[in-house]
Amino acid sequence: MIASSLSLLGTLGWRNLWRHPRRTLIILFAITLGVWFMVISAAMMIGLIEQQLNDTIFNLTGHAQIHHPKFRDDPAVEHSMPLPNKKLLETLDGGEVTQWSARVRLPAIVMSERESRGVTLVGIDPTREIGLSFIGNPVVEGRSLESVEDNGIVIGQRMAEKLETRIGKRIVIMLQDKTSEVADRGFRIVGLFKAELEATETAYVFTGLSTAQTLVGMANEISEISLVTRSREKLDPLVARLRKATPQFESLSWQELEPLVVTAMAVYENFIFIWYLIIFVAMAFGLTNTMLMAVFERTREIGLLQALGMRPRFIVGQVMLESLILLFLGVLLGNLIGWLTTDIILRDGVDLSAFARGTEQFKIGSTMYFIWRLEDLLTIDVLVIVLGLLASLYPAVKAARYVPVEAIAGN
Amino acid sequence: MLRKPAATAIAFFFICSLNLSLPLPAQAIDAGAIIQAAMDQWRGTTSHSIMSMTIHRPDWQRTMTMKAWTAGDTESLVRVLAPKKDAGNGTLLLDNKMWAFSPKVNRVIKIPSSMMNQSWMGSDFSNKDVARSADIIKQYVHTLIDTEQSDEHKVFVIQSVPKEDAPVVWGKEVLRIREDYVLLEHTFYDQDMKPVKRIRTSTVGMMGERMVAIEQRMVKLATPEQYTEIKLISAEFDIEIPLEMFTLSNLRNPRL
Amino acid sequence: MGIVFRLAWRNLWRNRRRTWLTAGAIAFSTTLLFAWVPIQFGAYDMMINASLEVFPGHAQIQRPGYLAKPKIQNAITDAELLTKSLRDSNQYAGVSARAQSFVLLSSGSRSYGSQVVGVEPEYEGGTSTIPTLVKQGRYLSGIDAQEIVVGSALARNLKITVGDEVILLGSSKDGSVAAAILPVVGIFKSGSNDLDRFFSEIPLRTFQEIFAMGNTAHSITVTSRNIEQQPQLLAQLTRALVKRDDVVVLGWEELIPGMKEAIQVDKTGGFIFLSILIAIVVFSILNTFLVSVLERIREFGLMLALGSRPKQIAGLMMLESGLLTLLGLIIGVVIGSALVYWANAVGLVYPGMEELVEQFGLPSLSRIYPQIKLFNFLLGPVAIFICTNLAAWIPILRIRKLEPVAAMRTI
Repeated sequence: MIASSLSLLGTLGWRNLWRHPRRTLIILFAITLGVWFMVISAAMMIGLIEQQLNDTIFNLTGHAQIHHPKFRDDPAVEHSMPLPNKKLLETLDGGEVTQWSARVRLPAIVMSERESRGVTLVGIDPTREIGLSFIGNPVVEGRSLESVEDNGIVIGQRMAEKLETRIGKRIVIMLQDKTSEVADRGFRIVGLFKAELEATETAYVFTGLSTAQTLVGMANEISEISLVTRSREKLDPLVARLRKATPQFESLSWQELEPLVVTAMAVYENFIFIWYLIIFVAMAFGLTNTMLMAVFERTREIGLLQALGMRPRFIVGQVMLESLILLFLGVLLGNLIGWLTTDIILRDGVDLSAFARGTEQFKIGSTMYFIWRLEDLLTIDVLVIVLGLLASLYPAVKAARYVPVEAIAGN
Repeated sequence: MLRKPAATAIAFFFICSLNLSLPLPAQAIDAGAIIQAAMDQWRGTTSHSIMSMTIHRPDWQRTMTMKAWTAGDTESLVRVLAPKKDAGNGTLLLDNKMWAFSPKVNRVIKIPSSMMNQSWMGSDFSNKDVARSADIIKQYVHTLIDTEQSDEHKVFVIQSVPKEDAPVVWGKEVLRIREDYVLLEHTFYDQDMKPVKRIRTSTVGMMGERMVAIEQRMVKLATPEQYTEIKLISAEFDIEIPLEMFTLSNLRNPRL
Repeated sequence: MGIVFRLAWRNLWRNRRRTWLTAGAIAFSTTLLFAWVPIQFGAYDMMINASLEVFPGHAQIQRPGYLAKPKIQNAITDAELLTKSLRDSNQYAGVSARAQSFVLLSSGSRSYGSQVVGVEPEYEGGTSTIPTLVKQGRYLSGIDAQEIVVGSALARNLKITVGDEVILLGSSKDGSVAAAILPVVGIFKSGSNDLDRFFSEIPLRTFQEIFAMGNTAHSITVTSRNIEQQPQLLAQLTRALVKRDDVVVLGWEELIPGMKEAIQVDKTGGFIFLSILIAIVVFSILNTFLVSVLERIREFGLMLALGSRPKQIAGLMMLESGLLTLLGLIIGVVIGSALVYWANAVGLVYPGMEELVEQFGLPSLSRIYPQIKLFNFLLGPVAIFICTNLAAWIPILRIRKLEPVAAMRTI
């Protein structure tokens, strides 16, 4: 009974909509535009957050880190830690961790024939950095490091420019070794890496882990262990286990290592919701108005239907269904075109390189990416449909209140 | 190798100027051997010298008088004698470690590795230049590339190319050494083989019974109006230097 | 003219609901834009101001080339006289001379590189907030006092606290060794990583003595009463120094270059966003305008038959839509003004703001105040007025082609 009445009302609603194609199309366009805009805004926001998060995590932070308790404050060679013991290895190789690696990380001076700069020298195991940090990605020029014994050096592209040097040339690294003496040696530049931010390219230089250890006399020691897991959230149990395995060293999740990013994300997510509401209100005026118009011009018809026995709530239902169809279509189209925009048209992101210095200041890369999430789409869809129905309630109730005789007689 | 001005550099020049009685076979002149022999000779020797260092810039110029003691290639002490406001400043070198002393603050400060690239006493030499030990010559491959004639002397032209891992930024260094082991010229080339800086001897003479380079100038070739000049005033070699000379307390309290 | 006006106004109220809803949509978007533009620009001002007031000041006078390559020899020879004359002119809120150099700071156990700034303690507070950000101890007491204040991170790295002595070692202006021992009288925390990690300040005369500077200094920092007067400040200073070619006047764009582009990115993004929002509003109410023309075609037919000319009718319609939009605009402006007024009185903060800007490397921020400029207030309303009226005119233009008899026959 309900089903058949619903289908009746639905058919009525659909046909009513298309009695005035231009009017329907205009309001449909408004709804579609609104939904599309919400989808794009959300995608842009998520793109921004993802990029920042990725950059942070991929920028040697990882999902979690283990190091000497004093290392963060003072990253000097005396705050080193030993290679992982059996207990720690068990946790690290336990399956939850998808990739982990040990690194040497120390402040150093890099010198070329004409320039010198302060940097951080990072000794890595190149095979283990794949999937763990940005240095696991292929370099843009030359070759990546190949093993822990590799004694070549990989520097940032913009660093090479600042040092006025190139691939194939030698640069000298100078730093303080374990005995507080100056340790230095020449390294041949074998590869140049590229990162979103210039700051990253000039901050780090990479060589093999063993090479770095030998240089500073850290025989079986490292500066830190970094790891990634399957999921970026829910790291607490793992971190707890790491702490148990090495209580004398500090184990921290990325949220603890970079609390600012966490706060930034929360701020963004709050903003986007307010933005949805603003867009909706912009649409809602038109929606209500349009439904009112639709109701108003059918006064006689509605009056007739009522006289023929259709109950008020069916009138309400019918108007609401009309609105629902409209909203549904708009949401569908908005989602579709939104998806087209993010995944096809803007798949490679928007190039902001004209504003390179500005994006560097905001610590975001010079390309803006759009990423949609199912949860955002659903939020938008539900929001629009529910609020849209609420906005249509007024015209619907109005319609139901028509007194049949007056309705038929009037107009 | 020869990037040491002042103390150790001067010392080296003295040594090079020793009239070695090493026979030099006319045919196979081994460049490495020339340098190595000079180094071997020098390793056991001490020196005491007084020199003036002039730093010249387009709009100003400054001259300091300094006293230096060296022992072997790992120990040296330099003290500024004049002008008055710089007098008493000193630098002590022990192995590769460098300390500075300033009478104004009456403290001895260890120069950390991050400051090794800063200029030494305001000159065109860096702390690193001064602190380099002679051990470094092992990090090069030396070749005799030419023999020239200058005045009545034969001049060896030696090319030194750093080995792969050497902590040397240069592409190559070219030295002109006279047959009596006086260094006439030392040029530093970048890795594209373009000359970047040069030390050139303008006067050679006898001092402390040795043939030495008396006047030398260090210039960055891109800015020729900026240079540092070192002039030897007096020198003596193979003297007795007490052990306490090269200590931090002596750096601070000049008793010797 | 009066009759047409009254006619238009009455026509509007023939359908009160519709009129109110449409006016409501316009009012909503007007409020949004009216309040948003001044507040957003106010936020930019706040960011610029916060970055400048901590140290760079609103403008600086330096020797040409000093900004790019700060060499200690590149000093302003008559700095003292120049500073005094600027101060005596009483045209600026703050004038202070500074000299800077890079030195080695050494405590008993550690040595660190630091940028030491010679300041005039009496006047530095007028151009920098650092004197007020001393968290431990106090600021410098006199222009030739033998004292030093250091940044909090620097103090931590050197392992010193108030009362300890540090040794300062560097290179003077004439190349001789610059050395001094100074007691730490205060430790400041600005929130800016760069400043807290590398900066230290000593009195100017002390600096000049240690570094053999004589009477010279490297920069004269000038501030005006508020950041909005900055362009006039620059003009003023440039005029005052027009006869000298040995100094240049630098404004904030040169002092904090990344900020300008960062703001540019944000402005462009904001512009695009608001344009799309206006588009949504316009489409949303387009139906209203359409219907208000279409439903009166019979009426127009009658008017034409009675002798009105199409142009007059069109004119009447345009007046109607104009009045309608004005109605919405006025409501929007009233509400928007209230918002702006409130924001101006109270200052805006939003949760998470502190952390967000710390992330961007800006020092701790103050509240956001709207930028009260006519352009800011007019931009939104004018744009909306033009767009909505243009949309309204589309159906109106068809009136001109109306044929009386056919029109009157329309249902």
